[in-house]
Amino acid sequence: MRLPDFEYCEPATLEEVLSILEGNQGNIRMLAGGTDLIPLMKYGLEVPSLIVSLKNVADLKGINLRDKEVFIGAMTSLADLGSSAIIRDNFPALHQAVEAVAAPPIWNVATIGGNICQNSRCLYYNQSKTWRLEKPSCLKAGGSVCLAVPKGKKCFSVYSGDLAPALIALRSTLSVHKKNQSRITPLQDVFSGNGLAPFTLAKDELVTGVILPLPGRGVGSSYVKMRVRSAVDYPLLSAAASVTLGGGRRIEKAALIFGAVGPTPIVVETDQLFAGSTIDLVNHDALREILRQGTQMVDNLALPGSYRRRMLPVVAQKAIQGALKSIAKRENR
Amino acid sequence: MKKLPKQLISLQVNGYEYEVAVRPNRTLLEVLREDLRLTGTKEGCDDGSCGTCTVLLEGVPLRACLCLAVEAQGKEVTTIEGLAEGDQLHPIQRAFVDHGAIQCGYCSPGMILTAKALLDRNPAPTDLDIKLAISGNFCRCTGYNKIVQAIKMAGPNAAGGM
Repeated sequence: MRLPDFEYCEPATLEEVLSILEGNQGNIRMLAGGTDLIPLMKYGLEVPSLIVSLKNVADLKGINLRDKEVFIGAMTSLADLGSSAIIRDNFPALHQAVEAVAAPPIWNVATIGGNICQNSRCLYYNQSKTWRLEKPSCLKAGGSVCLAVPKGKKCFSVYSGDLAPALIALRSTLSVHKKNQSRITPLQDVFSGNGLAPFTLAKDELVTGVILPLPGRGVGSSYVKMRVRSAVDYPLLSAAASVTLGGGRRIEKAALIFGAVGPTPIVVETDQLFAGSTIDLVNHDALREILRQGTQMVDNLALPGSYRRRMLPVVAQKAIQGALKSIAKRENR
Repeated sequence: MKKLPKQLISLQVNGYEYEVAVRPNRTLLEVLREDLRLTGTKEGCDDGSCGTCTVLLEGVPLRACLCLAVEAQGKEVTTIEGLAEGDQLHPIQRAFVDHGAIQCGYCSPGMILTAKALLDRNPAPTDLDIKLAISGNFCRCTGYNKIVQAIKMAGPNAAGGM
């Protein structure tokens, strides 16, 4: 599959990038690791007229500990994240999420910013032009039908990034820049919930970094990914959990975030499930009820939606237990 | 539609410098195979999942099908052709042959280069280390066991060499 023609530039500073992005109508794409953008271009799903390579922008790289938070530049590679002791020791969910992505060669080029901002996916969307010619264009590809859900009127594409659920569980915020402006926003707020355009980011904005508050004592986290093979595959379902233990080893607070359940990670309110209880099994019925509202799992991944729905409490259970284990590990260090 | 002009880029491949005129939309895989005629690197899935296009960029495994050729400028690229010295196979290639780790051979260039990157870093990997390192390289023929064995056996001989 050949890439379409495009103009290409390699700016050296963030300022240059933001100037180029000013007035972007959607025809300019940032190139980080390329593991999402390049396949989409080969499939004819993305046709930018200008590609801006971020590889030379030094300001966008690095893992820095400052005060009570860690700042990760958006162009920091997954390989660097995976080998970082700061990340491994303080943010087990992020460490596990990084190791769950694809395979080691991908980690060498993939970036945290790119992983967060990856497009949503569907069996009927992420296919070559030739494959897609067999059927009418789907909603996400600019057509008028959903191929996954007959008569479906909205897009059921799945946000399949591994890092975002873990980062949300870790209360991450994003640093977002545009020309002469910058803002900090909670990570969950950049997801629109709309499979056609999964992000609320403006076309002239660039994610420049991720900020994680250092966890206090008695806090643990974990990320669990369900997939058919043990490498390469995108998640069929994933869960990130963060647990805070209070006095008497009771669960004081817990956050549960599901990935690959629809166009956005779903944050589950867990107070009813855990508050005050000691290390306990997840209340499956309560969880199922809560989740029926927020998730939209249809038959557009490798395994049916019905199976993936049944696995929600199982994956949640593993994530909570992983988070609890990580507290013990941290305390024994 | 008028095509955009080509640009002259310099690629360092297997110790040689090649100057090629390419448009930005050429991948490193295409340029290696079509412009430099180094066809040892294979095209499989063309979307980054299978690993048959694996080359080493500064000693680290890279999916050449996802890398724009212009992005590889100024960095040392190693393809499978860069391993043997004349008729003398690289120890990892020798181990693959000796241990029955090659059937159709299509995954082998990518697999061997991934193995080289591992052994250069860790000459005595455990089975688990090996399986993790090659988890991004698919093989449809061998069932992987012989490949893992070959990499393990090659370890002590292959460390740090070219």
